[in-house]
Amino acid sequence: MTVLHILFVCAFILLGIGLYGLLIIRNMIKIIITIQIMIKGAMLALVIAGGFTGQLNLGQSLAVTVITADTIVAIIGLALAIRIQERNGTLNVDEIVNPES
Amino acid sequence: MMPPVVLVSLVLSPAIYLTGRSHILAARTISLIALMIMWLTFGFIARGFAISGTQIYTQGTLVFSFDGLSLLITTVLLILSTLVIVFSIPDIQNKPGEDQYYAILLLMTGAVIGFVSAGDLFNLWVWFELTAISSYLLVAFYRENSDALAACAKYLMQTATGSILVLFGIALIFAESGYLDFSHIQIAASPLTIVAGTFFILGFGVKIALAPSYTWLADAYTEAPSGISALLSGIITISGLVALLRILAVLSGEMINWGAVLIGLGTLNIILGNMLALRQSEVKRIFAYSSVSHIGFIVFAIGISIYAHQGVGFQGGMLHLFIHGLMKALAFLTIGAVIYVRNTGLPLRINDLSGIAHREPLLAVGIITSCLSLAGVPPLAGFVSKLQIFYAGVTAENLPIIILTVFAAFNSVLSLGYYFPIINALFREESILPQRKLTPGIYIPVYALTVALLLIGIQPSILNVVIVPAAQTLSLLFGGQL
Repeated sequence: MTVLHILFVCAFILLGIGLYGLLIIRNMIKIIITIQIMIKGAMLALVIAGGFTGQLNLGQSLAVTVITADTIVAIIGLALAIRIQERNGTLNVDEIVNPES
Repeated sequence: MMPPVVLVSLVLSPAIYLTGRSHILAARTISLIALMIMWLTFGFIARGFAISGTQIYTQGTLVFSFDGLSLLITTVLLILSTLVIVFSIPDIQNKPGEDQYYAILLLMTGAVIGFVSAGDLFNLWVWFELTAISSYLLVAFYRENSDALAACAKYLMQTATGSILVLFGIALIFAESGYLDFSHIQIAASPLTIVAGTFFILGFGVKIALAPSYTWLADAYTEAPSGISALLSGIITISGLVALLRILAVLSGEMINWGAVLIGLGTLNIILGNMLALRQSEVKRIFAYSSVSHIGFIVFAIGISIYAHQGVGFQGGMLHLFIHGLMKALAFLTIGAVIYVRNTGLPLRINDLSGIAHREPLLAVGIITSCLSLAGVPPLAGFVSKLQIFYAGVTAENLPIIILTVFAAFNSVLSLGYYFPIINALFREESILPQRKLTPGIYIPVYALTVALLLIGIQPSILNVVIVPAAQTLSLLFGGQL
């Protein structure tokens, strides 16, 4: 078990933390933070995967590209949160989501 | 260099936004011109494909490869994009954010073309993100409506999670094989294939609304503008299946048969979509859940072919992909036309469809054609594709698959249970008076799609030129590892 293996498992632990948070957290902005935790886990996994195969440079460039794309997703999510706060007065996802089946 | 089809949309999309801020007419004109240029450049790619097979474009280390699958999706996408832009010109007029609408619509078109033609894994993920981002913005277009914002929030949270799962799958494949492009990856049979495959099925499953991650679909399609619902439900949601199939093809099938997984999930989709659609009273939600069911049919057909090593299921699945794109777009565009004409701002319920057969008879023909075609009634196009899927299931000569095929056929008949109330309501007495007249931008796409469905239903072999290369590409992808 090298350091790389342990770090790879840590990336999946971050994914697990993020998924658990996605299930139990009720505030929309906190959910966006949770999604960001999962993204950091994915970036770590990409860099470590590059480390396994000796292509650390490629792994790092992939991780930097992920930063760009997922920052945009976070921006859109936060813009939605602002609009929802204006319309509904609450950021609790139980009260925002449509009550239809 | 990048394929010109994608480059045009990426370059002209900001141009549309910048000119649209001052002159909205310029935005509409440039978007139509951009689509014409995309048709032209796509024609060159298609001609090159007919002459010499898969077309490859490289830009530095990015690889785009246009094979049969990419061509099929791009054809449907360009047809539907053209019709949706023509439809949106009167539909979105004077709504806030109109200039951004055309820009992001064009960007989404280019992004989906890049998504289905990506030649390596990370490229695929970047285009996937771009597709998802542009669709978040378009679903939340009616930003004053809190239901639309809630639908977009649900859609965003689920799709972002899905794309992160795909990223983990890519990291696993990268760690195992050291390559990212599809031509070099070969994953030997090991527990890793099951784990990576699960990540991809869950991640792309959110995108294509595969069970159990389909819950975002009903809200997103209902609250989006009608043109966007038509485009999303017609082609963009199912385009994720192309990426999923490309990736499953490089993962070895010895430890787990991906065909069996797809058959199971497809059947689940079929029955869930039907059951949920029966309970709805809002028309757009009925069509949204019907989309879930039809995506199940496509995945079911492809699963049969992978499991039973035959080519008929691939053809049936691809034919249903094409025809469902046209049928569902027709359904959403006609409902959009009804909403446009009634102009009440309230969600359209089945009872609100009363009187259309008397006042706008040609719209009623469009709704009836789309409903009957979706249910699989001959001589419309939906019958042909469903027949081929059931034929593929029956010729698989495997008792569980035959039982599931009969089950799917029963579900196809069951779907009439929620289409008939819609057709029935058209002929009742009028309850809401129309406030606007139909403009050519609204009814030309409806008529074009209706005629197309009738023609394809009578003579389905006119689609052979796009369906057969796609089915052959799939056979080639999965033939290597079977």
